Amino acid sequence: MTKDKKKKIRKIVLLTILFGALVGGAIVFYLWNMPHIDVQAQKADFSVSSTSIVNEYLKDEKAANAKYLGDEGDSKIFVIKGTVKSKDTDMNNQVTILLQEANDKAGVKCVFMAETNNNANTLQIGQQTKIKGIIRSGAKYDEDLELYEDVLLEKCDVVTE
Amino acid sequence: MKKVAAVIALVIGTITLFSFKQTDDKLISKKSQIDIFSHTDAEDINAVNFSSTATLSKESGDVVVSVPMQSFEFKKALMQKHFNSEKFLDTKAFPKAKFKGKITNLKDINFTKDGVYNATVSGEMTIKETTNPVNEKGTVTVKGGQVTVDTKLKIVLADYKIAFEKGKPSKNIAKTIDVTMKIEY
Repeated sequence: MTKDKKKKIRKIVLLTILFGALVGGAIVFYLWNMPHIDVQAQKADFSVSSTSIVNEYLKDEKAANAKYLGDEGDSKIFVIKGTVKSKDTDMNNQVTILLQEANDKAGVKCVFMAETNNNANTLQIGQQTKIKGIIRSGAKYDEDLELYEDVLLEKCDVVTE
Repeated sequence: MKKVAAVIALVIGTITLFSFKQTDDKLISKKSQIDIFSHTDAEDINAVNFSSTATLSKESGDVVVSVPMQSFEFKKALMQKHFNSEKFLDTKAFPKAKFKGKITNLKDINFTKDGVYNATVSGEMTIKETTNPVNEKGTVTVKGGQVTVDTKLKIVLADYKIAFEKGKPSKNIAKTIDVTMKIEY
């Protein structure tokens, strides 16, 4: 092998290693700084009434979890239509809106965010509305709590269109 | 006929009375915050959850806390993914964790008088369908009729068969996790 050829091979090897390191570094950098899912920027997977999602959960919790909860927390995004039953704030000063119809055993608790709290505040008790958010857990009767737990939706905003 | 009506009225009256009594005795949480913290030389990891539901019986001291696991919010999205993943807490299959216990020194707590009372809590924690006993101390704060419970507990991950077998997460997550709970009733 000539000296020139050896040099050329070495150059290619070095360049390949450098390229590999750069790509690897970029992947690690991306994974490390991966942004949280922007729920409001995503298209909704399901658009249903609070009654229908609550009843689906009360009928078969396991099946509903398998259908709606994501493997790594990347669960389904819902637009829920319902009536505002109550309004509150959590310990993180996020507004929570409970969508529940009068005859239902449970409702959908929608937790808003700092940037959407103002939209939640425009809602009135008894008002019909549509709220978009990511599902975190379903409704069920808990024997220890002795009460029905609501469907939980987070990162919420009011759907206006 | 009148007799039947009277009996029905009595039954309904009694049921109503008892159900009111129960709501008075049993407090339902209004707000909550649960922090989890893991420390290793490699890094500190913490996450927070504001969406738990809890009850507290003033008469029996029964405490129940139901925690929706996917509501834990991490700074890093990747950590949140790891936390929820099948290899770790598998929150798709086990979306809720539960603490069920009793305040054992209920006689030391006066729910009608403002103050900060030390409480001992004894019960069991269920995570991923694995249940372990929990015995911890906490405080019950009564202020203007509002009750707040604060408690800290340690969770040994191995007790709940929670572990990353290999890779970076296995080295960067502590074997014991600190859990801080604040529940406002």
